[in-house]
Amino acid sequence: MFSSSQFDATSAFAGGGFSFTQQTQPTDSTPSPAKSRETQGLVPVTVKQISEASQSGDEKSNFVINGVDVANVTVVGMVFEKVGRNTDVAFILDDGTGRMKCRRWMNENFDSIEMEEILDGMYVRVNGHLKSFQGAKQLVAFSVRPVTNFDEVTFHFIDCIHNHLQTKSQGEGLTPTQPQLVDTSLSTPMRNGSNGSQTAPSSQLSGQFSIDGLKSCDQLVLDYLQQPSSIGQEKGIHRDELSRQLKFPVEKIMESIRSLEEEGLIYSTIDEFHYKSTASG
Amino acid sequence: MDTSSPSVFVNAELLRMHVGKKVRAVVHVIQSDGEITTGKSTDEHQLIVKGLPHVSLMSYVEVIGIAESDQSIRTETWTNFGNTFDTQSYNQVCQLANGEFKGLFL
Repeated sequence: MFSSSQFDATSAFAGGGFSFTQQTQPTDSTPSPAKSRETQGLVPVTVKQISEASQSGDEKSNFVINGVDVANVTVVGMVFEKVGRNTDVAFILDDGTGRMKCRRWMNENFDSIEMEEILDGMYVRVNGHLKSFQGAKQLVAFSVRPVTNFDEVTFHFIDCIHNHLQTKSQGEGLTPTQPQLVDTSLSTPMRNGSNGSQTAPSSQLSGQFSIDGLKSCDQLVLDYLQQPSSIGQEKGIHRDELSRQLKFPVEKIMESIRSLEEEGLIYSTIDEFHYKSTASG
Repeated sequence: MDTSSPSVFVNAELLRMHVGKKVRAVVHVIQSDGEITTGKSTDEHQLIVKGLPHVSLMSYVEVIGIAESDQSIRTETWTNFGNTFDTQSYNQVCQLANGEFKGLFL
C-alpha cells in the first residue's frame, strides 16, 4: 500500500507539526486532466463527502468523489472512542459533518509514539487511505497529527470547498482564465505546499489550449512585442505596460515572459523588466 | 459512518435559522461567570453560551451544542481555540457552508 516513497516521508515528518503531504502531488508530469491513483496525493474532504462517495467496482476498487478517483484523503476533526490494541489503534473521527471509523496499524515504533499523544476530544488532522470493509467505509490512517493552530480547522474546510470547485470545473472542461489566480488568496503559512500543487493542474490546461490554437497569454505577449511600434522602441517594452495593455496580472505576464525567453523568442534589454522580440519585424 | 447529526457552522446571523438544532460556533469571550458566558460571534454580534466552565477573557472558544434561541447555545462540547484566531475566514466558512456548498457539510 505504501509503495510510493513519497508517503514514507509524509509519515516520518508528520509528527513534527509540518505538513509535507501536499508536496507529494507531482501533477506537473501528467498533462491529462484525468488523475490516476498514483499521481493524486491527499484530497481534502469532509466526512459527509466520504459518506456520499461511490466505489467504481468491488470492495477493492477506488472511491469516486465528484467524478474523480480518490484514494488518499486528509480530514480534520475530533477524536472519540480511541481504542488502543497491540496491532492497531481505532477511533472515531467527528468533523462536524459526520462521524467515521478510523484505524491506524501499528507497523513501526513511530506509529505507536504518535498515537499515544492523541486523546479523546482532541482536534486532529488525519491523512489516510479510504477503504471499504464489510460494506462500511473506513479510513486507514498513516498520519494523525494534533491541531495546534486552530486556523487549520477553518483552512481545511476552505480547502475542501476549493478542491470541490476545482474537480467540478475540471470535469466540465473549463476555460482556464482568471479563476486560477484565486489559489494565491487561499494560502496560509502552514500550507504553502498545498497551494503550489493546486495551481499546477490549472496551468497545464492553459498550455493545452494554446496548442489548440486559442490565444494564450504567451501568444498575446509575443504578438504585442512583435508589433512595429514595439520593435521600434529601442529599450523594449516594460512588463507593466504589457500587464496594462493585455489586461493580465503581472505574475501571469512574467510567466509568459519566462517561457518566451526560454524559447529564444524575446530577450531582456536595459533591465529585467524590459523585453523585446528577437524577430526583426 | 454516521452523518445523522452534523453540527451546522453558524455565526449570530445564521444561528436564528437553526434554533433547536445542533450547531457549532466560535465566540470571542467577553464575559465568563460560571454558568453563562457572553461572547462575540464571528460576525460581531453578542452570543450567550450556557454550560461552559470558566474560560479566560479574550480567548476564542469553539462551542458545539444545541441552539436554544436565536442568541444562545447550550454547550455539549467545547474547544479552546487559543488567543488568536482568524474570525473573518471562519465567518466566510459559515456563509459558504450554509449557502452554495451546503452539500459538502449537511
